[in-house]
Amino acid sequence: MRLAVAAVAALVLAAPATACTPRASQAYLETRLVCIQCHTTLDESNSTFAVEMKTEIARQIKACRTNQQIIDSMVGQFGPAVLSTPQTHGFDLIAWVLPIGGILLGAAGLGFGAWRWRTVRAPASIDSIDTFLDAEDERRVDEELKKFDA
Amino acid sequence: MRALRAVAVGSVLALLGLLVWDLAHQNGPGVAVKVDKGKIVPAPKLDLPLLTGSGNLTLASLRGKVVVVNFWQSSCYPCKLEARDVAAASRAWGAKRSDVVFVGVNAQDLKGPARAYLKRYGVTYTNVRDALGSTWPKWGVTGVPETFFVDRRGRVVPPHIAGQASRAQIDNGIRRALRS
Repeated sequence: MRLAVAAVAALVLAAPATACTPRASQAYLETRLVCIQCHTTLDESNSTFAVEMKTEIARQIKACRTNQQIIDSMVGQFGPAVLSTPQTHGFDLIAWVLPIGGILLGAAGLGFGAWRWRTVRAPASIDSIDTFLDAEDERRVDEELKKFDA
Repeated sequence: MRALRAVAVGSVLALLGLLVWDLAHQNGPGVAVKVDKGKIVPAPKLDLPLLTGSGNLTLASLRGKVVVVNFWQSSCYPCKLEARDVAAASRAWGAKRSDVVFVGVNAQDLKGPARAYLKRYGVTYTNVRDALGSTWPKWGVTGVPETFFVDRRGRVVPPHIAGQASRAQIDNGIRRALRS
């Protein structure tokens, strides 16, 4: 009898120990995954299918799967289209690189344009001009200036 | 400056080319609209993985048979309403003739609920999985359930059933496809 009680007690105490601690976040996953039918993130949708996906996520969290494992299982079922943001490798990398590259290229273009504009439009200094006036005009200007000096 | 102009013109031409390519590759209204007008049209390509088990099924591999193509989702209420009728029709026709087959196309669905649906409604015919619904535009499917009848020559023939299909509608569709 004492042995049976001990066995039952051991089982009761062991149950919580075997239950796992959830390692994934429902809220996080709902922002990372998209409802395939309505094309919005799960946290923004309450469509029947979105609710089904949320239930599936909850089931997997309960089974102690990690965020990445759950995301991988969804990608396994629907492909990368189920992700709310493009992946950072393979062909999807273009989605990240292209805008940043575009901004850098645009900035470089603007910088180059500004530099060229300054170079072309900068006024030449008077000293650098050898013949500002022809000889006749220069003589007349000198004559006029002498009148002021007098 | 001339180089910049060339790059700008090149970019505009490339974008124009992209637009033309996109317009040329658009799917149009799909076969459903044509079939609803009474036309007989070649069946779009169907090459999808099996919902249960491994491997793919192509519609082309069923040439010489009348194929009932039923699009469905496990969360769709009218699909559930018609499921037993479609399953019963497949069993009845399967027992009578070997040249009539049913193919279910499960689209935009989770594998678990989809497989549970098959079990719950006693669906024993072949089902394929179209995870993203990529076949819908070509077939002209706008919702589920929808049912098409493909004749022995690989053509979609009227009627096209949009919505819950009754046993009588299925039988009628198969008879018309057999006569086609």
